Amino acid sequence: MSSSDTRSDPPAGSAPGQDALGQNLSDQGAAAPARPAARQGELALFAPPAAADEMLAPARMINEWVYCPRLAVLEWGRGEWAGNADTAAGRRAHKATETGAAPALPEPDALPDDRALKTRRLLLASERLGLTAELDVIEADDGRVVPVDIKTGKRPHVAEGAYLPERVQVCVQALLLREAGYTCEEAALWFADSRERVRVELTDELIATALGAASDLRLTVAAGRLPPPLDHSQKCVRCSLLPICLPDEVNWFRKGAIARTPPPAATPALPLYVQTPGARVTKKDFTLVVQVEGEADRAVALDEVSELVLAGPVSLTTPAVHELLRRDVPVAWMSSGFWYLGSTGGQGPRSATVRTAQYALAADEPRRLAFARELVAAKIRNSRTILRRNWRGEDGERGPLLDRLALLADRTARAETAAALLGLEGEAAALYFRALPKLFTDAVAALPAFAFERRNRRPPADPVNACLSLIYAVLTRTFSSAISVAGLDPWKGVYHAERPGRPALALDLIEPFRPVLADSAVLMALNNGELAPDDFVSAAGGCNLKPKARRALIAAYERRLDQETTHPAFGYQVSMRRLIQIQARLFARFVCGEIPRYPHYVPR
Amino acid sequence: MARRSNAEHAYVVAYDISDPKRWRRVFKTMKGYGRWLQLSVFHCRLDGGRRAEMASALEDLIDRDADHVIILDLGPAEDVEFAVESLGKSFQPIERRAVVI
Repeated sequence: MSSSDTRSDPPAGSAPGQDALGQNLSDQGAAAPARPAARQGELALFAPPAAADEMLAPARMINEWVYCPRLAVLEWGRGEWAGNADTAAGRRAHKATETGAAPALPEPDALPDDRALKTRRLLLASERLGLTAELDVIEADDGRVVPVDIKTGKRPHVAEGAYLPERVQVCVQALLLREAGYTCEEAALWFADSRERVRVELTDELIATALGAASDLRLTVAAGRLPPPLDHSQKCVRCSLLPICLPDEVNWFRKGAIARTPPPAATPALPLYVQTPGARVTKKDFTLVVQVEGEADRAVALDEVSELVLAGPVSLTTPAVHELLRRDVPVAWMSSGFWYLGSTGGQGPRSATVRTAQYALAADEPRRLAFARELVAAKIRNSRTILRRNWRGEDGERGPLLDRLALLADRTARAETAAALLGLEGEAAALYFRALPKLFTDAVAALPAFAFERRNRRPPADPVNACLSLIYAVLTRTFSSAISVAGLDPWKGVYHAERPGRPALALDLIEPFRPVLADSAVLMALNNGELAPDDFVSAAGGCNLKPKARRALIAAYERRLDQETTHPAFGYQVSMRRLIQIQARLFARFVCGEIPRYPHYVPR
Repeated sequence: MARRSNAEHAYVVAYDISDPKRWRRVFKTMKGYGRWLQLSVFHCRLDGGRRAEMASALEDLIDRDADHVIILDLGPAEDVEFAVESLGKSFQPIERRAVVI
């Protein structure tokens, strides 16, 4: 069998229709039905024995390879993992059956003939086979052993008793027992929900499928190849890696088919911001407790925190840091002015594949410029959209301004250097910010404190600039976390030059989102009257928000993130919060060359 | 068997624990999953994964013969109509929003 041949073809000898989950033959590639029923002259050549530094393929990953090759490579080769309701239920089912005696399994020749033995949780590995497995339960009787794998859910009603991936997994366990010298003639699966046991026959076909899958998996991972996603498969719907894999979105580039539904966010948890000076964050049982002098303690369940954002002089205890690291929840450290200093934990997949590709992109001048052109165009179009939607000024001024911005956006396609792009971006920004006060309500426009002449920073000179600076910093932090979780390096940019302390990639990717997320959140807070002139303090030429006002503005921004939008490329409804996660993942896919271009978020 | 979905549902969890030491542990654990409503009653908003984790954590703590925990599913958290009459103090369904302190 050639190694480039993916496992999506039915293994030699298996009858059509019996592959994988049975119900999903259509996923197995459109070419499958056209293939002749019997292949000729094929020799089963399995991967060579594992060398000292090679990973042994776990039986669970071989199950996943048979289920979906991309899933196995993402998890095993790329270090990605995500849980969902099914994985949690699986853990629960395992825990319920793990209690009880776990005596050591006697050597093969010392197995008693006269009495039955049962043990749990046995680790086996074989370098000759290149396999390893964790066995849930092993039963020994009459000198023979039977591995039993615990599955959540009910027994499926199919002729073989169980779907192929599960049978392959337990077959690998049996092969490892045989390799260790035991007599193993059958295996079994235990379905926890229906409390049924299914006998798995170790046929030559099943063994060939298992060994073939194992060698394909090892060779694919060694070659660094990521198999394509399944096509509109029912398998994807309940797959916990759906938000990472993005099957429909990746396929959209190949076929233009509309994605079904947005992938769910990994958890419904939200960021927790602590920015009151002197606050103290501690861990108590399963909650984080925030203590602020003169206020009642606030407890927030640890599971409900997607990210802990600490701004300014706020302390965090070591037990709390340990717990957050254990849960892979990032802690974002920021200055009082929300300048992003760095993160602890939440560093994404345990592999550097995406980062390596990111550096290659950053070194590739033409690709870099092509990306920057689309980026600047998207930013100008989005600022034009914000002006068009929220215009409250005179009608006569609006048309020419919008035309001018559209023209500048079109011109980016012909920009030949990054400097030329910067010029176009600067011109568009000047037009846009000059028009920004035309988006204020009359009540806000009447307040001299909220007069806005032009964008300035370091330090911002007036309240509106102070609000913009704060929200841009918070937006940068939102993206820094999202891109770290996607395996990217926030410090290496594509359009923004690298400077110490500057999260250049986050600054790149936020450009199109500045108008639609940040500016619109500031407009929302101002126009709704959530901020008043006395919410600001001015000192030494700079203007700053008082703590209460900061809280109100960040809350407005977080509300904006929960608003729904239609993804312009994929057509489905998502919250802005999920959109950011999807865009970060898509950028990672783009960087790795899996999709030909990065679809910018440009709403209508 | 419990519902298995990634959508959030609202729950009421009530428990009778015969031993004060175990009762205390259950109370502390529940604080990680929901809001304390009344003595031995919590109001939670959980997705399928956290719901399974909560059940599994409680299973580890209780004595199956002496204690009793019930988990009442009130339906999808976003759409459920809370037909609750609350006498005395007020009852507020849990809203999902970022905490800024």
